[in-house]
Amino acid sequence: MKSKLAIAFALIAAGLAASGPLLAHHSSSAYDMDHPVNMKGVVTNMEWSNPHVFIYLDVKDDAGNVEQWRVEGNSPNMLVRSGWKKEMIKTGDPLLVNGALAKNGSKVMRLITLTLANGQKYDGQGFK
Amino acid sequence: MRNHYIFSVVVAAVALPLVIFAQSAPHPGPAKIRGGAPPDFSGVWFIDEYRRSILPKEEPPFQPWAEALFKQRQLESANRTPDSGPDPTERCIPPGIPRTMFQPFPWEIVQARDRVIMIFEYQSLLRQIFTDGRGHPQDLEPTYMGNSIGKFEGETFIIDTIGFNDKTWLDPMGHPHSDALHVIERMRRVDHDTLVDEYTIDDPKAYTKSWTAQRTFKLKPDWQIKEYVCAENNNVK
Repeated sequence: MKSKLAIAFALIAAGLAASGPLLAHHSSSAYDMDHPVNMKGVVTNMEWSNPHVFIYLDVKDDAGNVEQWRVEGNSPNMLVRSGWKKEMIKTGDPLLVNGALAKNGSKVMRLITLTLANGQKYDGQGFK
Repeated sequence: MRNHYIFSVVVAAVALPLVIFAQSAPHPGPAKIRGGAPPDFSGVWFIDEYRRSILPKEEPPFQPWAEALFKQRQLESANRTPDSGPDPTERCIPPGIPRTMFQPFPWEIVQARDRVIMIFEYQSLLRQIFTDGRGHPQDLEPTYMGNSIGKFEGETFIIDTIGFNDKTWLDPMGHPHSDALHVIERMRRVDHDTLVDEYTIDDPKAYTKSWTAQRTFKLKPDWQIKEYVCAENNNVK
């Protein structure tokens, strides 16, 4: 599924990856930082919490099966500084996320860039 | 003599903002004319370029046990999962000094008469650097942030910190240190928006000789330090 998704959004991924911020908090070693991918999903929940904001997404694979993913941004403070608002993500919203996948194969992504349904993009780490 | 000096510093500290205000200077910065007052480092600062390794280009001169421990930590980090890793900060352990300053979170300098105070957003940590001429206490209990004293030499703030425990990592890579860690910092405001801190790591138990790292921080005039509650810790369930 990873490769299919990567291909499906290859052009966008290339653009986003080129402008991606440094992804490097304490737990970044768990993620494959060199190969960011894109996923589309629907929000099922969000934890606005330290150390990292978690966005839970339902993502359909190619066979139409729904997988549950956890997408990790930085802390709420840093995300707010880069323009995020807690209210901008609601259950049921479609999202496009670009990020690094967990090396151990668990369905967890370290967020690089978030794109809302209206096309608005947000830095996933708030370093900019 | 000493009282006279302190009086001069206090007068200068009070007078300086008035002079700046009178001149309507948009950015006071490291004023050249301060009447002998120490340089002004106050403000919210943020790491300019985040790096996982304290020394990006080479390894420090390890003692054998420290190198073995470093390699073990790297192995554990490589095999970690998103929710379980060896880095103590993931269990809300303070990052210690100097790592707390390198975290991708802002910190603020407040300069008081007898100390420089650093308020760190990450884990809401506090650092006090006494500048009133006192030495380190004789009976230091080891702590995460250590005991800091400082003095200004011209435009440079020199900070001397000892009294650490050995429970922290020097960086996210896992460079170790012992309870003999002695950190000497040379901090300079090289321009209005830029603070450079040079860290000499002197820890003969863990390293065969002292070595030096450097970090640059940028002023964030529109930011203020916010609450950060590590105990929420949603990475660990």
